Amino acid sequence: MNLENIELIRIGVYGTSILLILIGLYAVLTKKSLIKIVIGLSIIDGGIHLLLIGIGYIKDGTAPIFSPGMEGAADRMVDPVPQALVLTAIVIGFGVTAVALSLIIRLYRHHNTLKIDEIKNLKW
Amino acid sequence: MVGSPVLLIAIPLLAAFLVPLLGMLWKELVRIVPGLVLGYLVILSASLYIDVLQTGTIVETLAGWEAPWGINLVFSPLTGFITTLMTFIGFIIWIYSYRFKRNVEFEAAKKYFIFLMLLIAGSVGIVITGDIFNQFVFIEIVGISAYALTAFYTGRNSAEAAFKYLIMGSLSASALLIAIVIIYSQLGTLNMAEIAANIHTMNPQYRVMAMIFFIIGIGVEAEIFPLNGWAPDAYTEAPGPVGAAFSGIVVKAGIYAMVRMMFTLFDISGTMQVLIIVGLVTLIIAETAALRQTQLKRMLAYSSIGQMGLVLVAFGIGTQAGVFAALFLMLNHAIIKPLLFFSGSYLVFNSKEKKIAEMNGLGKLMPITAAFFALGSFAIVGLPPFAGFWSKLAVLTAAANEGMLLIIALILLVSIVEIVYYFRVINRIYFFKFDTQSSVVPHKPRGNAFLAMAILGILILVIGFYPDAVSEMLNRAADDLLNTPKYIKNVLSIGQTLTY
Repeated sequence: MNLENIELIRIGVYGTSILLILIGLYAVLTKKSLIKIVIGLSIIDGGIHLLLIGIGYIKDGTAPIFSPGMEGAADRMVDPVPQALVLTAIVIGFGVTAVALSLIIRLYRHHNTLKIDEIKNLKW
Repeated sequence: MVGSPVLLIAIPLLAAFLVPLLGMLWKELVRIVPGLVLGYLVILSASLYIDVLQTGTIVETLAGWEAPWGINLVFSPLTGFITTLMTFIGFIIWIYSYRFKRNVEFEAAKKYFIFLMLLIAGSVGIVITGDIFNQFVFIEIVGISAYALTAFYTGRNSAEAAFKYLIMGSLSASALLIAIVIIYSQLGTLNMAEIAANIHTMNPQYRVMAMIFFIIGIGVEAEIFPLNGWAPDAYTEAPGPVGAAFSGIVVKAGIYAMVRMMFTLFDISGTMQVLIIVGLVTLIIAETAALRQTQLKRMLAYSSIGQMGLVLVAFGIGTQAGVFAALFLMLNHAIIKPLLFFSGSYLVFNSKEKKIAEMNGLGKLMPITAAFFALGSFAIVGLPPFAGFWSKLAVLTAAANEGMLLIIALILLVSIVEIVYYFRVINRIYFFKFDTQSSVVPHKPRGNAFLAMAILGILILVIGFYPDAVSEMLNRAADDLLNTPKYIKNVLSIGQTLTY
């Protein structure tokens, strides 16, 4: 694969991740169902995770571990930091989604609906 | 020395998850253990802070990785001051809520104290960490525990308030993560000191973009103007002491993160004007909104937002005097607002609507609580013998030194609005007749609640009559914030280091 293709892949990854972030934002801002809003939040998270992983990508990269026979491979190793960040961010996103869904259960029991238009005891 | 800064985060995190197990042994431990933990945190942070004032900044390296690679904790005169303040308020909140829900149920108290400790651990973490991704993690810890505490009461509209907070909080956390991605892709580091040292090599466009995402990310916790829609609802629906925790602890951590980012991380000319404009807009909109409120806690929430706007204006002045005034305001607000929330939630205790109109004539029926509420109101609007006067005076002097006359005029104008809505409540409490139809049932404060309010009230009077008691600490903290090269040097070449 030549240099141009790598650039194409890079643009593709970044473009997809930004597209995902925008789709998620659209869902959060326009959807009326509470569940769909939470799905939108998860899609935003997914887009950002993809963006982070894309930054650490190196073509033909290897795992960032010094094993026998790999001593000179330091410049071919993928950056491990974004992957660590993504793992942490996934766990946090899981926690937030769980809290959000449990709040939705509470809201449904209280109001008997999932439509955000009909839940307006407080000023939105 | 009784420990190291990492214990400030590790102990409450550990205790929060041990509390349910200890509760199986003896139910009363669920209430006692958080008090011991928070008391220990106060002693630890105070002794570390005294140590830091004498010998210089402590930089702690975690897991044996040196500063630019690993995570480090920075306990400087500034972060030490804010940490000590936050742990102290945390301890006061524990005193106040010791008998909270005591006669009702064990489960509720357990959840409450778990999340309170997580909230304090996260807020302390935001302040003392030296790594932006670590800060993001702590902001999320604070966020999740704050959503849970907001939704604490099942009967009210609390889930609605919490869900609103959650949407704003997680969207802003996404923005924060994008800012971290931009910075990491450009500079290849997450360490705050190294970012500050290399920020000038970054393309200005990326720099501004990252800063905007940062402001959006932190603005929700710091209650700056377009991002504070969650605050009035969350303060209203959460239990009283949780409102005190939000205004005394969480918002302070948010403001710190914002200011650290503006002063140390992004050295862009014009950021100070941004702070002033954002602060003034927040101040004016929040104070005028507070004037229209009919519910007590909503009014206090808007007042809290307005005070944070004033803090940002003071930081935005940018001089040593301005930063001093801003820190003084943060200190006073952290003492006064919990007092208002404590006494206010006693005044409207059994009321369903929590309306200001229901407080008529409570001054005669609940003299002690009403007196504390009046003391807090006088202090926060800045009447002379109380603490709030000195901080407002410091803001005005700092602005006058820079010749910012318009800002002085606006602050004074808004102060009048503040006086109007606080004195309206005081007027109702003392000079109206008690309405026998009202759902408020007058009762004396419990001993522990009285103790918590008394400590805060005495502090307000002490700072009010003798402001020199704190001015030395505040000056050291202000110098520390303004001296970016020293911060970078402390972390990267490491002054007084602890390694574990």
